[in-house]
Amino acid sequence: MLAADRIWRRNDDRVTTGESIVLEGVEKTYGGPGGVHAIAPISAELLAGEAVSIVGPSGCGKSTLLRLIAGLDLPTRGTIRIGAKPVTGPVPDIGIVFQRDLLLEWRKVLGNVLLPAEIKGLPDLEPRAEELLRELDVDGFAQSYPWQLSGGMRQRVAIARALLTRPALLFLDEPFSALDALTRDQMNVLLQRLQITQHVTTLLITHSITEAIFCADRVLVMSGRPGAILDDIRVPFERPRRLAVRETAEFTAIGRRIREHFEKAGVLVG
Amino acid sequence: MIGSVFWPLLSGAVGLALWEGLVRAFNIPVFLLPAPSQVVLTIVQQWSYLLTQLAITMLAAGLGLVISVALGLAAGAAIAGSRLVDRMLTPWLVIAHAIPKVVIAPLFLVWFGFGLQSEMFFVVAFTFFPVIVNTVTGLKSADPEQLLMVRAMGATPAQVLRKIQFPNALASICAGIKLAVTLAPVGAVIGEFVASNAGLGHLLIRAVGDMDTSLAFAAVTVFSVFGVLLWRAAEWVERRVLPWHPSQRETFLLRDANT
Repeated sequence: MLAADRIWRRNDDRVTTGESIVLEGVEKTYGGPGGVHAIAPISAELLAGEAVSIVGPSGCGKSTLLRLIAGLDLPTRGTIRIGAKPVTGPVPDIGIVFQRDLLLEWRKVLGNVLLPAEIKGLPDLEPRAEELLRELDVDGFAQSYPWQLSGGMRQRVAIARALLTRPALLFLDEPFSALDALTRDQMNVLLQRLQITQHVTTLLITHSITEAIFCADRVLVMSGRPGAILDDIRVPFERPRRLAVRETAEFTAIGRRIREHFEKAGVLVG
Repeated sequence: MIGSVFWPLLSGAVGLALWEGLVRAFNIPVFLLPAPSQVVLTIVQQWSYLLTQLAITMLAAGLGLVISVALGLAAGAAIAGSRLVDRMLTPWLVIAHAIPKVVIAPLFLVWFGFGLQSEMFFVVAFTFFPVIVNTVTGLKSADPEQLLMVRAMGATPAQVLRKIQFPNALASICAGIKLAVTLAPVGAVIGEFVASNAGLGHLLIRAVGDMDTSLAFAAVTVFSVFGVLLWRAAEWVERRVLPWHPSQRETFLLRDANT
């Protein structure tokens, strides 16, 4: 049971910054007036340390939302605040995991994980990188090139890279949708382990209703374009959760509630 | 593995044997077409002379190549980094490349005089274009999502260039330099035809003038063998620089399928 001990040990060297993320009337239109209305006014608050999922149909503006929160793009209207600071440019305190792992093929695994430290000029993060690789069960591959790793392992490295500088928010943009079903389940368990050990606020964007519920304390349901929040559902299950929780009546009830929103919106039929 | 060495060698041997046989059978005079054995004999007899001339040619080629790569990388970075520079500089490059360089070789003699410097400029004219084109293509082909990712990490433009664009362009740059490496000696020889009294190019002109065809063949043979070695060396360097690249990976399956 040594592995299990390690899995659930709390990693208390991180002091939670206690910064919540607030969206106030955030709206985004591309291409000026008459352009694509990507996001309808959205207001939401993500509490520090909370795990939130956003689930919605394709093209509901989830990825636009990511760009806005990360400060890579500015909202047409409304404000986004992290803690007390409004977001006006790239936010350094966010770790992003994209759908593609985006590992740099010319760097070995350890070099890839250390990339954010190099860019931000933070020294001495190598022990932290090695610790993260251990926690993500890819420590045997620190000196391997990305092409030598499987898709699941590559995405684990991408997660380690996102967590390296102890970001206040871990933003995951459909991170597991390119993985096979079994690997995806493993990654869901792994993500949960990280949420506990790294105390990191996570915002997971996904198409999978099951994944959205399993990985979060709260699920935000988004409508099709323009993206708006249809529902805000609290997920009551204790952590750590077993994958079997997905078969309980309570879990399927939440799933049904989400599905009903999509049926009403005409996204799901049948 | 044995097959990949044996069959090309056999093919080469058959070709040389035919050549040798035809020359002997039809009694072709040596100033028209020397037999391979005659060429080998000449190489052995004039070994040190040929090697000295080769060294002179390669010095010009090497110096020109260094200038060309340095300029090509710098200009390539400027073009890839700035749309304005791209628009201003690229038309000049295209025009310069379209000019047949052999035709303006005599002008180099007028501008730069007789000797090494003229040859070097000729090498630069020959090799600059592949380096710069491949540098620009490589720098511009970085994955947009990777660029987005490092910008989200707060990377400065210089960091983006150093950490993403340049390493990403390295394979393409290597391809350009490999082309340049094989073009450089050609440029040097043509430079020597026009503007030098030493080197393999000059030797060729002289040998042909003297009707010493086997010496000309010997020069061409030495030159070609050296060219192949140079290409191999460039490939070796490339493997060291790009161990991660798909073209350099140990693909056992494919390699087995080839034999």
